[in-house]
Amino acid sequence: MIEVNNLHKSFGGAKKGFFGKKANPVIALDGLSFTANDGEITGILGPNGAGKTTCLRTLYGLLKADEGSATIDGIDAVKHPLQARARLGIFPDKFGLYERLTAYEQIDYFASIHGLQGHAKHQAIEAVINDLEMTELAHRKTLGFSQGQRMKVTLAQALVHQPKNFVLDEPTRGLDVMSTRVLRNYLARFKEKGHCILFSSHVMQEVAALCDRVIIISNGKLAAQGTPQELCELAGETNLEEAFVKIIGSDEGVAA
Amino acid sequence: MSQFKALLTKELKEAFRDKRAMMMAMMMAVMAPVMIFAMSKVMIKEAVETPAIYLKISGAVYAPKLIKALNDENILLFTDVPTDKKTIWDERNLTLTIPPSFNQQMLDGKTIDLYFSADYSEKANLSPVRRIRHTITNYARAIGYKRLLVRGIDVRLLQVIKVIEQDTSLPNSNAMIISMMLGLYLLMAAFMSGLPVAIDASAGERERNVLEMLLCQPVSTVKIVSAKLCCASLIASIGVLLTLSLTTFSVSFIDLTKIGASFSLDAFTILALILLLLPICFFASALQLFVAFQSKNFKEAQSMVSMIIMLPAMVPVVMMFVDDKPKWLDWLPISGQSLIMEDLFKGLPVSWSLMAFTGLVTISMTVLLVLLMAKKLRSETVVLALS
Repeated sequence: MIEVNNLHKSFGGAKKGFFGKKANPVIALDGLSFTANDGEITGILGPNGAGKTTCLRTLYGLLKADEGSATIDGIDAVKHPLQARARLGIFPDKFGLYERLTAYEQIDYFASIHGLQGHAKHQAIEAVINDLEMTELAHRKTLGFSQGQRMKVTLAQALVHQPKNFVLDEPTRGLDVMSTRVLRNYLARFKEKGHCILFSSHVMQEVAALCDRVIIISNGKLAAQGTPQELCELAGETNLEEAFVKIIGSDEGVAA
Repeated sequence: MSQFKALLTKELKEAFRDKRAMMMAMMMAVMAPVMIFAMSKVMIKEAVETPAIYLKISGAVYAPKLIKALNDENILLFTDVPTDKKTIWDERNLTLTIPPSFNQQMLDGKTIDLYFSADYSEKANLSPVRRIRHTITNYARAIGYKRLLVRGIDVRLLQVIKVIEQDTSLPNSNAMIISMMLGLYLLMAAFMSGLPVAIDASAGERERNVLEMLLCQPVSTVKIVSAKLCCASLIASIGVLLTLSLTTFSVSFIDLTKIGASFSLDAFTILALILLLLPICFFASALQLFVAFQSKNFKEAQSMVSMIIMLPAMVPVVMMFVDDKPKWLDWLPISGQSLIMEDLFKGLPVSWSLMAFTGLVTISMTVLLVLLMAKKLRSETVVLALS
């Protein structure tokens, strides 16, 4: 379970400007709160610059919130980042691969970092490779992999230790239909096993099809939350895209 | 521990598969022996051989015995110059003018004025000028001695004081230039060899977007940095060891006895050198990683880190100009090691305690750098620079 409670974060406010004047801070998060439950896929929607990536980075423990807290299974991500991260699978905003390693070696690397060893590690790697249908890729160096193949490797290395919680930052960006389907199926299976999945996206159909609950963020604040159906009803629209635009468009947001 | 092992294994795998980096790393090791070999050869040749000198002599017919004395020293007439060298010696324009009255003045026992002209500031002329002057002086002195002898005077009367010189430098110090160069090369190798790997592991990973992924993992940044450091310094150490062994091998082909020098790297010297240079390898790699992590991208890292390489080259050179070396130079990294290396090559006894102390200072500075880097990687500025 992932809980975000009254998160505040601003950038550039602490630094003084050239003439000793305080530069105007950029407020990235302004009291954001939400909960992503186990056994559910929670979607985060929001325009560019709404604070999605900042929020997720606070969850990873990379950024420290000015106020408020983010917890993963009850562990504070800022105070105990290592323990919190151990319960987290991360598919980051920008992902790269070690191009001189094979896919297998890369998954092995991340499995070892998560403390898997020996036979258990080997089994976990084989399982995730089979699940993602990437046996053929496994022993090739990742240099020159297609976007879909890269996604698979990144997904495999994020999930090899079977984390209870899984965070994806725009995972479907640049993927073809086939790869998106693999991802979607995999996430659905993960959900059924009772894992908590949090995922940000800009593709409305996908969010509508996949997510149990949707959180809409605007200007660093929670604008609305609920099932896709509830959001449509809230905004009085028939499809999620129209609802999204309407909810963001209003200054103070619609109370959920 | 298993985490650290995984981190290190991955760094090593990446480093050894990066052909460009490995080539750069080993370039130094191959270049140094070749350079040292070539330079020593040239040095010996200049010191030992007496190549032919072609002198423009006007009035050669007036002093045939002098010409013969010159010929014995391989100083020949310009008229005999082979065509392929003609322009060179024509340009150098070494001329000697012998007056027609040479023979008469010789018989009269008067001082004969010979005119010798050459461009003394030209480096290529230095050795010929020295040899010509030397030969003529010797010739004149021999005649002078004979004149005194036939008059029944002991020539030793001319020698009022004789200075007996005793060179206290040990036999090894004659090969000083070679050892100075080797010392410099070893320091450079320590800095150069790990360089591509260090940049690739830090700025390179950041640019390929894999650093963020790693920072999100449940592993402390100290472990991440130490793994990268161990990998880069291992490559640097390999570079140093290769340089050392290849140089030892190549110097054995040079006949230094011709210039009365001897240069040998025995097991003891090699061991001491390795002990000296290992901390430097770690220090150099830590410094490179530190700078590379600070810089915004791969290119900036490359140019900034290249400046660090100047460090080992500058320190020994600067120290050559400092006559009264302050005590703290013995303790600092690089300067301390290069001073001990100098003693080592001179064959002087090595102060082990001083060596241990410099090593300790170097290692503690490395640890400090690692902790600083680990702290930096936890800070928000680094994370923000990722995107």
